[in-house]
Formats: sequence, structure tokens, C-alpha cells
Amino acid sequence: MGPYLVRRLFAVLPVLAVVVTVVFLLIHLIPGDPVSVMLGPDATPTQIEATRQSLGLNRPLWEQLLGFYGRVLTGDLGQSYFLDRPVSRALWERAEPTLMLMLCALVVAVAIGVPSGTIAAAHRGSAWDRGLMMVSLLGVCIPGFWLSLNFIYFFAVRLGWLPAAGYVSIFTDPVAGLRYMVLPAFSLGFNQSALIARISRSCMLEVLQQDYIRTARAKGLSQRVVTWVHAFRNALVPVVTVIGITTAVLIGGAVVTEIVFNIPGLGRLIISAILRRDYPVVQGVVLVTATVYVLINLGVDLLYALIDPRIRYE
Amino acid sequence: MRRSMLVRKVLLAMAAVLLVAGGAALAADTPRKGGVIRVGNLGEPPALDAHWTTASITETLTNHIYEGLYSLDSANKPIPMLAESVAISKDGLVYTFKLRQGVKFHNGKEMTSEDVVASLARWGKQSVYGKALFAQVADWKALDKYTTEMKLKEKSAIVLISLAVPNNFGAIYPKEIAERFPPEQKVTEYIGTGPFKLAEWKPDQYIRMVRFDDYKSRNEKPNGYGGGKAAYVDEIRWIPVPEVATRVAQVETGELDFADDLNLDSYDRLKKNANARPIVSKPYYWLVAVMNKKEGLMMNQKLRQAWQAAIDIEPIMKNVAGGRAEFYRMDSSLAPVEISAWYTKLTGLPWNEHNKDKAKRLLQEAGYKKEPIRFMTTQEYKWMYDFALLTKQQLEDIGFNIDLQVVDWATLVKRRNNPKEYDVFTTGIGAFYDPTHAVFLTPSWPGWTTDEDIQRIQSELARETDPKKRMALWEQQTRQFYEKVPVIRYGDLFGLRAARNTVKDFNEKTERVRFYNVWLEK
Amino acid sequence: MSEAAVDVLVSPGPAAAPSTRPRWLRRLIGNHSVVAGALILLVFVLAALLAGVLSTHNPTRLAPASRLLPPGPGHILGTDEFGRDIWSLVLYGSRISLLVGVTTMLLTSIGGIVVGLVAGYSRRLDTVVMRVMDGLMAFPAILLAIALMAVRGPGVWNVIFALSIVYMPRTAMLIRSTVLSIRELDYIQAARALGREDAAIAVRHILPNCVGPLLVQGSFVFAYAILAEAILGFLGVGVPPYVPSWGNVIASGKNVIREAFWVSLFPGVALTLAGLSLNLLGDGLRDLLDPRLRVQ
Repeated sequence: MGPYLVRRLFAVLPVLAVVVTVVFLLIHLIPGDPVSVMLGPDATPTQIEATRQSLGLNRPLWEQLLGFYGRVLTGDLGQSYFLDRPVSRALWERAEPTLMLMLCALVVAVAIGVPSGTIAAAHRGSAWDRGLMMVSLLGVCIPGFWLSLNFIYFFAVRLGWLPAAGYVSIFTDPVAGLRYMVLPAFSLGFNQSALIARISRSCMLEVLQQDYIRTARAKGLSQRVVTWVHAFRNALVPVVTVIGITTAVLIGGAVVTEIVFNIPGLGRLIISAILRRDYPVVQGVVLVTATVYVLINLGVDLLYALIDPRIRYE
Repeated sequence: MRRSMLVRKVLLAMAAVLLVAGGAALAADTPRKGGVIRVGNLGEPPALDAHWTTASITETLTNHIYEGLYSLDSANKPIPMLAESVAISKDGLVYTFKLRQGVKFHNGKEMTSEDVVASLARWGKQSVYGKALFAQVADWKALDKYTTEMKLKEKSAIVLISLAVPNNFGAIYPKEIAERFPPEQKVTEYIGTGPFKLAEWKPDQYIRMVRFDDYKSRNEKPNGYGGGKAAYVDEIRWIPVPEVATRVAQVETGELDFADDLNLDSYDRLKKNANARPIVSKPYYWLVAVMNKKEGLMMNQKLRQAWQAAIDIEPIMKNVAGGRAEFYRMDSSLAPVEISAWYTKLTGLPWNEHNKDKAKRLLQEAGYKKEPIRFMTTQEYKWMYDFALLTKQQLEDIGFNIDLQVVDWATLVKRRNNPKEYDVFTTGIGAFYDPTHAVFLTPSWPGWTTDEDIQRIQSELARETDPKKRMALWEQQTRQFYEKVPVIRYGDLFGLRAARNTVKDFNEKTERVRFYNVWLEK
Repeated sequence: MSEAAVDVLVSPGPAAAPSTRPRWLRRLIGNHSVVAGALILLVFVLAALLAGVLSTHNPTRLAPASRLLPPGPGHILGTDEFGRDIWSLVLYGSRISLLVGVTTMLLTSIGGIVVGLVAGYSRRLDTVVMRVMDGLMAFPAILLAIALMAVRGPGVWNVIFALSIVYMPRTAMLIRSTVLSIRELDYIQAARALGREDAAIAVRHILPNCVGPLLVQGSFVFAYAILAEAILGFLGVGVPPYVPSWGNVIASGKNVIREAFWVSLFPGVALTLAGLSLNLLGDGLRDLLDPRLRVQ
């Protein structure tokens, strides 16, 4: 296990290098220019040239890329062109809303997904099962961004129950913070809950057919005990890995959700950075997201290997 | 020092308590100190350096922190702000500015002539208006602590107005800051003399400005952008809310006290809201299609005239204005009626002719053979996209071939500097307070109006100081504009803002929002 | 976002052994998911093909006089802010969605097969290719698509290009793992022993075994491409905004959702149904083709 872990961790580095290079080239290929955006529409070409020079944007691309690598290795992500602060600080400020959103969405997804999948499996073929699975299929297919719009329309605008958009930190005002989180967390978590429900159901079904469950039942244990104590625990194993993957998927979903709900997280940061051509910020966000994404995937793999010894440490 | 501050704060707090206690008995219209006003706006400023960028969001924000020598009154004429008075020599070549005394910067230092000279030198190298003025300036120096003297190379009509424009303006910074940051590098220490000082800037979350307790106000009443300024609210919190629908919703629910740049479709709903009110902002922009006169198809004047003759402006404006007459105005004057000094009432101009036969004839004379015309616009400003799309349909109906390119704003402002990349682009022309500040008539601004006749009148306008003669020149320029068609003028579009009813004494007349002299009820 | 549909639901495991045809057909028709999915999809295909006949108005013609009309006799689903007919926009929008979906599916399959075969066959290239694929998959697909769109500018083919790049690695991984598991099987070893060339073995024996997983994967890529196209349009970086596409109509409806809910409602319903049909199809196919995952 030990050497396997080390090997896997080292394998992450080239992946990140690929990511950073690809993104660096991509963002510099985008037409448009940070300086024109910064100086406003009426800036003259000489002004623009002077500012380009002072930002080092006139140096050859490969030189900028090497410089970026060098700085990353020393832990320096550079200075944002636009936000008047180091990229690392901008990232740090934006991490909380995104993490909070992902956490809440994950809670929603699991809280809805796992019980409904289990119930459906326990009552296989019943109206419950069919109804739940129908809803969850629909849940997978409803576009999250469109769902968000409808949520805002009904719950914020029509009924006035919840704020339409915005973000309040849970640490400054817990009640308001949670109220602001409800709609985004549900829009983002709903798709995933449907997915988790479907996976939980099939895992439960598989487990329920195992010999030891039959034995338990034969012993005269009640259906409820069998379902929730014996089967549930074992079905949880693959479900946990799905939840891990879900977390990674939520990073992508968070981008759109943050935009619709005006949450000042990493997703909104990278979109506005792309629009402003704030190269250092785009690179910084990508690097951090990719690292987290890769680490989560690695974690899922390790967890899986830990749970299921049949998986070879290749 | 710290202790006396504390004492003062306590006294202030007590005074505030007394004010509030007494306030109940007083009339409801007496301004009250206190509260946080939450203002929703479009997005992030590229900088909080007034010299550095023309971006309108920077203009709005920096005018609360900084002040210039002059400001604009309610008739959009220059009035002194940090200056006390000016004496102009007989030949018109020497301006001697007396400064107000005892004006403090946010760092406690007193503002003196050294700060003015250093700041304006920086502004003269970077700002659009500063550069125009400094092209005429021979020397600007400090005579004593409160007196500065400016010498001109030639007679100029634009000295005071250039010092007064709120956009990209000649904000006075402390000398140390003005010298530490070269013009092409934006200032990152924000110290001014304005009624509010910057407390915290968290990008995409908020910008907090708090009252500057040592602010020295002018004694006059508030007047336009200038006059006396009082910071009644404890704090202005600027919250970027890029989604327009969200901005509206948040004013309606009370999550914001004020919101700017709203979509016009929400006007009716805001009118019905018991707790908020819509505010129509005039002037906002006149919509404009800017022609590339340096390269490509639109160098052909006949083709530009064909475009001008073809378009039927009213339905375009009506659609852009959300179908509402309150939000647009059909007018051909190059300066909006709100800028009364430069408003023209000329008749018989070939504006909004929607004459299909004339347009087709002009197309033929231009020798146009359905070559695609690259028309660049953006959705980030929705009205730009809207009028471009409507224009495309009208023009194609009479035989144009329009290649509509919808790009993001960053791409648009980059590409429009390159004559090879486009034929026409959309933008809006905001208020300009002097004809020489009309960017679309300058040879350096994208589109490149290099026409000799237009330039001759522009330079005469910069030199001529007699107001009557200047107006005559401006009228002549306007007629010429519609003949040479450097850009296509559409109608005037107005903006929509909304305020909660608790927001009092907001000045609805200025082009951009100001929150000094504004107070919160309750 | 149901991005997970692509990531999770597809088993990278080997396909079932080829089955005989009549049974295959019988099971296909017997599978409710497949039939329902195919039927809904057929409706969309017909809508796209017959858009010219079924539409009541020219979907791109602006009519400022009739802007934001509610659903009613003249416009059964109402009009948008330029007076365009929503019903016609939704019909023509299905053309864009299907075009993007089908083409992306084909391109990712072709690209995935090539890359997957190369990686599965060549030990040396395997490491390099897979690291690049890992890199491409190491951050959220939608972000990569947005960045690619920003580089290439708006346009249908640019959307297809961006989405194909984004989803190709998943297909490539799938093919690679199929190849890896099959090539050790006895009959492939036998073919090699008989002196068959690698390429011939790949085409003759390995590719047919990839058809099943590819079909399943393809239907999910199809579904996600449609969704992603709508998201890109919604964010303003997809096909040009004046082209009728579901994402564009939803985006234009979001500003007037309180005055005119119908603008974003109907294209959203269409989008959901299209996603539903493809997910049903994908689920059904997987049940049929991969008995290991079949759940009663």
C-alpha cells in the first residue's frame, strides 16, 4: 500500500504540468487583451503598449510560461492584473463560498439520494420504487442551470421565502448564511442526489441477494433490520466512492451555480477572469481546481482499494 | 492623538444619539446621520485610480474618494471644488489657481499646491482629457503653499472644463503617491480628499467606503456634482451583482438599497412596489455604430451614408427600451439636451430618414456588391447587442450583407483598435461637456475620424474662447457630421435605477450616481 | 449539472460476449427504457427535420411590435423580447441541439477509438497519451469548454470542437481498458499466434467488442453535449446568440423571467425531455449489453 500511494502521488505531478501548460497556452490564444480592459475603452495605443510592458506581457510566450513554472515551484502564483492583489490571496478569499456551496450540495445530494435509493431497493417493484426511480431519472436530466432559474422564480420571486441570490458567510451570520445557501445547494445537489439514488438502489439490490442477507432473513430478523443494518452497510461501499466522484463533479457544477446565484466563489472568479483576460488568476484557479480534482479522484481510488482488496495495486 | 480621536468619536456618537432622539420630533425630511447604504452595481472596477482609466464604474467609485480642482454644477458647467478661485491673465495664457485652505487628505496631511502639481502632471500623461489639456500647457508650477500657476502655449477654451469632467478626472492625490506610481501603473494606495474613504475592497464581494470625519465641505449648497458635500451614511457598500435580473430582485426584496443599470422591462414592476421606486437616468447614452474609416469597406462615405439613410431608428429604440417611451428619445443633437450648453436645434439633417430608395441609390453609387460588413458587438452590454441585431435586419432588407460578430467586451475593445479586424462596432456615447471631448470626432479614437474638415473645426473649437463663436462652430460641425457620417447616431437611451424608499435626497439628475448628501430614513 | 452521467454511469469493464441477432433484437424491443427513449428521440428528430413545416413563424425574423406576448392563439408558446415565436425557436433549436449532440458523439467515438487503440496497444505511447488524457480530465469539463470557446469564438462548429475535445478522453479511456482486457483473452492470443497483424486483430476482433460500451457511452455523450451546448449558450459563449438554440433562448429568457416566464420555460422543457430520452436509451442499452450491471 505505501509504495503504491507514493507512486500514485508522484503520478499527479505530470498531470498538473499538462493542465497548467494547456491552460497557459489556451488563455494566451484567446483574442482580447487584459490591458484594453483595464485601461478602459478610450485608451490610446501608446498607453496600452506602456502598460503591456510594465506587466511583462510583451515578452515571448515561452519566457512567460517558464517564469510561471518557476514561480509556481516557489509557491508564488503571481499578481492579479485586475484585482490588485496576489492571486493566492484572491483564491483564498474565494475558497470559502465554493467550499460551502459544495458541502451543502453534497449534504443535499446524500440526504435525498441514499435514503430514496435504499427505500426503492427495499420495496423493489412497488409503486414506491417506480415512483422514486422515475423522479430520479427526471432529476438526472433536468439541467441544473435551468432548475436554478425556476427555483429563483418560484421560491424567491413568487413566494418570497428565500433570497434570490447573493452570499453571506455562515461565520458572520449563520442564519442568513444558511438561508442564502438553500436554493443554490438544492439546484446543485439535486442532479447528484438523483444519481446517488440510482446507484444506491442497484448496490442495495445486489447486496440484498447475497447469501448472508438470506441467512439473516432466515434467522427471522425483521425486514427493516435486514435492510438498514445488514444490507445498507455493505451497499454503502460503492456509494461512498460515488459520493467522492460527485464531489469532484460538483466543482464543475459550482461554476454555473455561482454565476446564476451571484456567489463570489472560485467559479465566478475564473469566469470573470477569463472575460477580463486576467491570465494569472485563470492559471491560479485552474491549478488549484485541478489539484483538488486530482486529489479527490486519487482519494476515491485509494478508498476503493482499501475497501475492496481485490483491486490490484498496479 | 489616539485618545483625542476616541473622545471625538464618543462626542460624535453622543451627538448622533441626540440627533436621532430629537429627530423623531423633527420633520421627516431632516437628513439623518448613520446607516449603511448597499448599492448593487455591474461589476468590478479595473482600478480605483481616477487618472488611469475611462471606465465608468471607476468614475462612479473614485468620485466619492477623490476630488479635483473643479467640478460640474447642475447645468454641467465648471465650478470650483478644491480650487478657491482662478485668475486668468488678459492674454488668456496664464491661469493662477488659489486653493482652499485646511483641506485634509484621508491620511491627515493637508492638501497643498505641491500635491496639485504632482497629481495633475500624472493625470496629464495618462488621462484622455488630461492629455488633451496638457498638449496646450507649457508649464504648471506651485507659487506658494496655496497657489499654483499654469502657463499655456496657446489660447485655450478647455482649461476649466477639462479640470471639471468627472470621467478619467484630475483627482488630487498626495504628492508622494502621485510620484511613486508612474502614470502607466495604477495607484494601489487610495488617499484622497473626498467625503468617503476606502475601507476595504474585496473583489466581487464588496467595496466598503466609510465616512471621512475630517472632510472639509464647501459652504455652498449641493449643486450638480459639486458644491457642499455631506457624508450622512456611515458606510457605502458597493456590491457587484453582474446579473441584471438579480439586481432588480434584490432591491425589491430589500437586500439592496440601491441598484444601477437595470433592465428596462422591470420598470412597471418597480413602479408597483410599495417599498422601492424606479429612477430614470438621463442622459445615459446615445447609441452609436462606429465606422472604421482607416481600412476596409466603410472608408467609402457613400456606404456610410447609405447606412444612415436606411435605418428606421424609432422601432429600434423602442425595442431596446423594452417597448417603453419613457426610456428613449429621438434626437439628432450630438450633445444631449441635458448638456444645455452644447445642445443644438438644427433642422433638415439627414437623420432617421428611413428612406429605402435613397439608401439603395447610395448603395449603388458606392459600388457595393454584397461584400460582408463585419459588425462587432457584445452581449455584456445588452442594449448594444439589441440595437445591432435590429439594425442588421433593417439593413439586410435593403441589400446590405451584415456579418454580425458577437464577442465579449474584452475582445471588442481590443479588436476595435486594430483597423484590420472590423468594419463597424457598437458602443454608446455618454455625456461630454465640451465639443473637444467628443471622442468620435478625434483621429486617435477607434474608427479614426481623420477627415480634414472635421479636424479643422475641432482645433478651432479648442482655441476659440468666445462662447457664441464656439457654438456657431459646433453647429457647423454637426451639419458636417451628418454629411460625412464618421459614425451613425441612433437615439438617446435612458438608464433605469431603483432605490428603496428609505433612500433620501438622492440626486436623480446626474449622469452617474453619487451618495454624498444622501441619507437613510429610519 | 448531470455531468456525472458521463463520469459514473458507464462501466469501464468489458462488454458481453457477442450475442446472436434475433435474441438481441427481441431484447431490444422488450426493453421499455430503450423503446421509450428511442420514441422520444424520434419525436425530436422529426421536429428537427420538419421544423420548416411545423413552425408557424420565421424563428430569426425580429418583430418588435409583438415582443413578449404570452402564449396564445397567434403564438402558441408566446414570443421573446424581439417578438420571435418561441414555438418556432424551440423547433429550430432542436436542429442545433441534435447537430451538436450527434456530431460530438461521432467525433468523440472516432477520436476515442484511435487514441484508445493506440494507448491500449503501445506500452510506450500509453504512458504519454494517458497522462495527457488525465490532464484534460483533471479539471471540470465545462471550464475547459468555456476556455476553448473563448479562444475560438462563438459558432456551432466551435462548440462541437470544444465539446469533442472535452469528452474524447473519457471515451479513449473506455476503449483502452476494453482493449487491455480483451487482448489477453484466448482467442486474441490465438489470432496473434496465427500470425495476424495487430491492426487486423484490432479491426476484426477488438473493435466489435467495443461497440457495446461505445453505444452506451455515446448516448451519454450525446446527452451531455446537448446539455453543455445549452450551458455554453446560457453563459453567452456558445453558438452566436441570434442563432436559435435552446441555451440561447433560455439565456434571453432569464432577464425577463418575471415578466415572461414562457421564454425560458419551454426550451428548458425541451432540453429536459431530450436529456431524458438519451438517458433512457443509455440505461436500456447498458442493461442489454452489459449483463454484469443489469439489475432486475
